Amino acid sequence: MSYTLRGRIESRLFATLVVLLGVCAVAAALPAFWPLELVALMLVVGVVMDTLLYSAIEYQPGWYALPLGALELVLTMGLARVLGIDPPFATALAVYGGAWLAAQALAQAGFPLFSLSYAENGGELGRAGAIAGAASLAVLASAGGLAWAKQPPTVHLSAGIHQGPLVITRRETLVGDRGAVVRGGIVIRANHVTVRNVAVVGGQNGIDVEHVHGVVLDHVSVVGAALDGIHVRLAQVMVKGCTVSSPAGYTQGIDISFAMGMGESMIEGCTISGGREGIVTHSASVTVMGNRVSATSLRGIAMTEMSMGMIESNQVTGSQGIGILCVDQSECMISRNQVSGTRSNQASGDLGQKGYGIESNFLATAELSRNELYGNAHRVGTFSGGTVSYG
Amino acid sequence: MAIVGGGLAGFTSYVTLLHGGIPAEDITVFGTSLDPAAAWRVRAASIRQQHMRSESDGHCFPTSFPGLAVHAARQAGVVPLIASVCNRYRPTVAEFLEHVEELGDRTGWAGRIRLDWVDRITASDGGFVVDRHGLFQHVLLAPGPAGLAVPDELAGDPRVVHAYQPHEFADRVAIVGAGMAAATEWLNALAAGSRVVSIRRREPERRQLNVPREMFSRRGLAGFQAADPVSRAASLRKLLGPSYPPGRGWDEPLARAAREGRFRVAHEVDGEPQVVCATGFRQGFVHNPLLRRLVAEHDLPTHDRWIELATDSTIPALTDGSRTLALAGAPAQWAYPAADTLVGAKYSARRFLQRVRSCPTP
Repeated sequence: MSYTLRGRIESRLFATLVVLLGVCAVAAALPAFWPLELVALMLVVGVVMDTLLYSAIEYQPGWYALPLGALELVLTMGLARVLGIDPPFATALAVYGGAWLAAQALAQAGFPLFSLSYAENGGELGRAGAIAGAASLAVLASAGGLAWAKQPPTVHLSAGIHQGPLVITRRETLVGDRGAVVRGGIVIRANHVTVRNVAVVGGQNGIDVEHVHGVVLDHVSVVGAALDGIHVRLAQVMVKGCTVSSPAGYTQGIDISFAMGMGESMIEGCTISGGREGIVTHSASVTVMGNRVSATSLRGIAMTEMSMGMIESNQVTGSQGIGILCVDQSECMISRNQVSGTRSNQASGDLGQKGYGIESNFLATAELSRNELYGNAHRVGTFSGGTVSYG
Repeated sequence: MAIVGGGLAGFTSYVTLLHGGIPAEDITVFGTSLDPAAAWRVRAASIRQQHMRSESDGHCFPTSFPGLAVHAARQAGVVPLIASVCNRYRPTVAEFLEHVEELGDRTGWAGRIRLDWVDRITASDGGFVVDRHGLFQHVLLAPGPAGLAVPDELAGDPRVVHAYQPHEFADRVAIVGAGMAAATEWLNALAAGSRVVSIRRREPERRQLNVPREMFSRRGLAGFQAADPVSRAASLRKLLGPSYPPGRGWDEPLARAAREGRFRVAHEVDGEPQVVCATGFRQGFVHNPLLRRLVAEHDLPTHDRWIELATDSTIPALTDGSRTLALAGAPAQWAYPAADTLVGAKYSARRFLQRVRSCPTP
């Protein structure tokens, strides 16, 4: 088809309107605004490409849609990253793919059926195109306004020591200025709370998250909590870039428990040292990725009590007892981890604590691939019906 | 309303009008055969055409989607669709003719035809008098080609046969012309074992369709339609010059035959016992009695061999808010250079439909 520039833009705006209707539903279901932001970026990238590049194409056979779509995908995702939108990759890819398919279906079938002269008019849709364009922009503007209006208030925690526990009971973003410290812990009891760049010292639990979802803990640090550094119960969280240092005793770095029905949680890019357990899950669906766990006295990373999830690309060093454990009917995909220096816990008398780099215990199912195990007392062990398979 | 012309252009226009909500009983078609592909079928068979030149958009359906590739996909799977996306799907002549027959049956075409030759259209109050058939408010003229063209210097030569007439090949044959029909005949004659001399005055363009692709849409049309009449006529002459598709399927047999001394190019016939004129049709409204009389009786403006038309293929001097006279097929090239294609027929028909819809019924 030979598009005019106006035809390209009108067709794109019309297709965007159709996509927006679907994406609004996705955004409401998540709930999140990134799908709308992604569609807005797709539109911007597309119109810029239409104007600067595609307008030079005299004739566009159908198959051009593949390379041009791939190019726009790369630009859109790159721009999203630059702007810090950072959508979940797989879901974003699905949204983009759906939008692309919808646009192709419209261009190849929908528009020619809707407008008999679509091809002859170079893709121009006349009054319908103008209306659809205005509607697309109106939907995007409304969504943008709504997103702006629904932005949680941002609370800045000034530098210095603040006596806790700090209890958050409303949706908000708590941002710590450099040197902001909360003594005695933070308690989160509201959905969609973000805590960023805040240091916590002491408290029974450093950060306590219960009965909520959509919580983001971004570059927080916890030192010296009496029980758990980050304690999550019946909640869904994303923890990224955290630092937890636990004292000796019955302490844990991060514990996410009893959250199987709350959606998937994620622990990514954290540094955890000390305590009995570094990262532990009970009956939860969690992805544990890219963390560094060291010097634990019982287990480095443990998925227990019918948990499910991936343990990927973590470094576990110098644990006593077990490096990575999948136990109690849990299902674990354990890949690309480095586990080293796991020592036997002679005092426990437990065979499973003899210093296994990776262990599957009590009917758990562990799928292993491309892990590096070195300097451990034992490499891989299975106990009490636990199984290991290699992918 | 009336459609004058029962060939493929008239048929495609009829189907388009039906799709646009015009009741069949409001449409009268004047033609000379119940089969809209009657004339085309003979021409295609004469040049032993196997596939359509156009891709999947070359069909008589009123909408460009679904085209023949989609229909073929119902039997052959996704291959026709993938080929279509890559501009590689060209339906066979047999498939196309079957499609015309099915569509004719489905739309009640035969019931709307009046088998009669129309010689004269006269503007009258509120419409046009079509010969002795009475007054019609809206008339679409799709008269078809104005006869086969044979160069003057070969007229009456007993060796001459037109490519669009059934024929076999002599041992040595001169083929006059350089367009799609000529190229097809080169290969036909070579396949029949003949030695071929290609007689041509100019080198053909190599392109998939008979005009550049952008000329099928507003992208190329806008500049063409905005040009002054002199430039526009010059553009048309250039656009409508001989062409045939690129590709090894054409080039390799010719190159091989040239190496074997069985194919060469010359500027004039030189004693060959058979001369095949692949020179298409006589061009211009003056060769069509109906159009010639219409122009003369209504003093219509013309340029070169074309009647001046509005961009919607209507004749401005005879079209207003109460009546419409439009052209389709080759005579409509002034509005749409590819008017002699099926896509071109739809271009005229769709705009005719818009005119009809916006016109008050008396």
